[in-house]
Amino acid sequence: MITHMKRVFGSLLVMLSLTAVSNIALSAPRTLVFSAIPDQNQTRLVERFGKVADYLTETLGVPVRYVPVNSYAAAITAFRNNQVQLAWFGGLSGVRARLLVPGSEAIAQGQEDTEFKTYFIAHHSAGLKPVDGFPAEMANKTFTFGSKGSTSGRLMPEFYIREFFGKTPEEVFDKVGFSGNHSRTVALVQSGSYQVGATNYKVWEKELADGKIDASKVSVIWQTPTYPTTNGVFVVM
Amino acid sequence: MANNSVQLRRSMRWKISWLFILLAAVCLPFSDLSINTYDPWGELGRLFSGLLQPSLSAIDKPFHALLQTIAFAILGVSAGSLIGFGLAQVFHFKLIRILCASIRAVHELFWALIFLQIFGLHPLTGLLALGLPYAATFAKVYAEILEEGDRRPYDRVQQTAGRVSAFFYARLPDLWQHFVTYTGYRLECGLRSSAVLGFVGLPTLGYYLSTAFMEGVYTEVWALLILFYLVIATMRYWLRPKLLPLYLLVAPFIIANDSEISLENVVRFFSIDIVPSPLRNGEGLAGLWQWLAELVMTEALPGIINTLLLTQLALVLTGVLALFWFPFISKLFFQRFGRLLGNLFLVVMRSTPEYILAFILLMLWGPSMLPAVIALALHNGAIIGHLIGRYSDGIRLRINAPKGLNRYAYEVVPRVYNQFLAFLFYRWEIIQRETAILGILGITTLGFYIDSAIQDIRLDKAVVLIVITAALNVLIDGISHTIRARLRLSVSPQ
Amino acid sequence: MFRLESAKVTFQGKDALTDITLSIPEGQKVALIGRSGAGKSTLLNLLYQQRPEDISLVPQDYGLVSSLSLYHNVYMGKLGTRPLWYNLMNLVRPFKQSSDDVQSVLAELQLDDKLFEPVAQLSGGQQQRAAIARAMIQPSEILCADEPVSSLDEQQSKLVMGILCKRFQTLVLAMHDIDLALEYCDRIIGLDMGRITMDAQTAALKRSDLLELYGE
Repeated sequence: MITHMKRVFGSLLVMLSLTAVSNIALSAPRTLVFSAIPDQNQTRLVERFGKVADYLTETLGVPVRYVPVNSYAAAITAFRNNQVQLAWFGGLSGVRARLLVPGSEAIAQGQEDTEFKTYFIAHHSAGLKPVDGFPAEMANKTFTFGSKGSTSGRLMPEFYIREFFGKTPEEVFDKVGFSGNHSRTVALVQSGSYQVGATNYKVWEKELADGKIDASKVSVIWQTPTYPTTNGVFVVM
Repeated sequence: MANNSVQLRRSMRWKISWLFILLAAVCLPFSDLSINTYDPWGELGRLFSGLLQPSLSAIDKPFHALLQTIAFAILGVSAGSLIGFGLAQVFHFKLIRILCASIRAVHELFWALIFLQIFGLHPLTGLLALGLPYAATFAKVYAEILEEGDRRPYDRVQQTAGRVSAFFYARLPDLWQHFVTYTGYRLECGLRSSAVLGFVGLPTLGYYLSTAFMEGVYTEVWALLILFYLVIATMRYWLRPKLLPLYLLVAPFIIANDSEISLENVVRFFSIDIVPSPLRNGEGLAGLWQWLAELVMTEALPGIINTLLLTQLALVLTGVLALFWFPFISKLFFQRFGRLLGNLFLVVMRSTPEYILAFILLMLWGPSMLPAVIALALHNGAIIGHLIGRYSDGIRLRINAPKGLNRYAYEVVPRVYNQFLAFLFYRWEIIQRETAILGILGITTLGFYIDSAIQDIRLDKAVVLIVITAALNVLIDGISHTIRARLRLSVSPQ
Repeated sequence: MFRLESAKVTFQGKDALTDITLSIPEGQKVALIGRSGAGKSTLLNLLYQQRPEDISLVPQDYGLVSSLSLYHNVYMGKLGTRPLWYNLMNLVRPFKQSSDDVQSVLAELQLDDKLFEPVAQLSGGQQQRAAIARAMIQPSEILCADEPVSSLDEQQSKLVMGILCKRFQTLVLAMHDIDLALEYCDRIIGLDMGRITMDAQTAALKRSDLLELYGE
């Protein structure tokens, strides 16, 4: 993991030195603040990006600090307001950030993010079986997305739902909720509170490995075709 | 049996109470209160087993977050109280009243979201998000206290002594205790608000609470909640008026951070962000009209309907719970130990964010309006129950007064009922504001749409919806004010 | 009926009653007289505490619930004799039988035209009679009353005193109207500074002696 991250961030260094140098040129060493969308467990994010910050501080010679945020919008806003100069976005948030901050660039992408996918999961009581094609039978069930601003928890599943049914999710399903994040989606579908949900495949695999998923209650009924999310690091130029 | 010829003259408050119950009953068929869930116990089991081993170990700086929560609350409420006191002196101007009502009408969370756009994580965001709506509330309540006080000594002294001296000699001493009592109560509210501001990213307890909760780390959730319950329950021991200056001196250092305010962002917010997109894109008034019409039809109207349904149901249930709960902390009904348990229960109920209550109930009952109604009623019922219970301690019963339920029904409820209605009608607009934060339940209240707009970084839309929400709140506040005036209800202690 | 032996009551560090030795037999009608602060109310409460379940009490501040109707306030005297469900139902919708009972007591006290008025709307004298009605409807033969006719005019006072003497076997009344005490009571106990300073049968007393010592 760390070596992988090192490789990714190694490739950034040239770019970053430029910004860092321009910062230094202007004043005393200012802290380069960097943040990330909360698409993972916060503790893991802090651990992961904390190491990155240390690495960058050492390599760039300017203080680099990681600040966690708790919503996609907060990450975008901070980036836009130049309170964060470097940020790890997802597909949707990356596009938004780029639209709002002219001249910002994506400068790196995670390897696994070139082939990302969303799992549609269902509670067993919904009577839905894993299918190859689109699970049309999930119409009129209750359904939950993850966070409103998430690519894998909102944008892509909504895209496939709209594409297949030709209707909005509100029209397709009995009820539509926004659980808040991927692991809440898993918890809510597993408890049967919502019958169907859409979640990030990595979070699902992780929860499965952690033994938090009871296969007799909830299972994956469909996975989206893989899509590249530009999950990656953006920088204000 | 019951005699039809008996002509009991029903009081106004009796009729009003039934009117609201009837209104809630009318709302019922239009509200989705279905229960549909299958295996809640797995997750709930994990949730409550977290209670057995609360742990703060994984949290970076829990006590720092606690200090931040307290510091923001003390500074925000103090600033709000000072400004509110000033505004109360000029509250007879209609403009001031409308201004205060509009500011009050926007939930602290939305103020925070707005200021986050302008100031980022600068401490000013939290201070303003708390201080502004609190100032508006203080202005209103202080003005009411002033209005109800005896003016005659002031009028006599004023002619010779001048207004300011007359105020300090002939008015303030009489009313001082009322101000202090109310301000103390608001400090507790401030602590809750300050904690909840963390939900949108401020560095208070709510930040860690929401994070831990979203990730299902229940051991942390409980540790943070217990920490917060303790702070609230012990408030009267550590929050001494004498210590307040010290706290006020230290607090700014606690909330200080190194972020800076950029004028550019402020200007951009007002000149670009909140300008409706058709105007920004040069589509002119026709475009603006179409944009507004669509916003109203697809979001504002359904939002208003759901908000009102949810509010009316929650309001009545809040009243029922408050009447049921207040005896548990009242000296008229329970001994010290019983009251201790009662207080503990009410602290837990009123300090647990509705959001978490709603989630637990969502697990139990599935997505519908039911978990939202119950969560709002549990939280607000505990707050009003607490206030009524405390108020009832001031009642002196005759020594041969009945006991038990007879005492409750004949001696106590009739005496506290005016106060109860006053608190409930005060809470009405607050309940309406709180419907905002229950989007997790898939209930499309106005707050749900505001949150969506902010998550989509469409601030123009968010601002229009916030204005509509505020207008709705001002309306409710107006109705509530009229009713309270008709019933001559007041929340300030008599 | 009542027996006190060197009783003493301290209230907030001060002696409210000192060395009270007293016995009141069944059927006696006793007036407690004395200046305000002499300890009349304290003594009355002390007597009440001896057997609270047998005594009807009229407290000095009436203890009425001002937002409830006159009917409900009077009915409260009967709460202990009825099952809970009956009391609760009656609160929402008065039962015919109970309202007739209350009505007849109020009729004696010339208050029956106000049955369903909220007590807050009544005058001071009417409120006092409401508190008396509440005591009268209670099924007991002993009355302890603190200034029961202080807000009534002379004519009404006499009416009420007459009714009370008829309704209750044993009366202990704190009073300040010496003429009424002499007219309606068998025995008069004088109090001063928390001590009994006089205890005599009415027949043996003269108005002028009492006025000098205990008149206000």
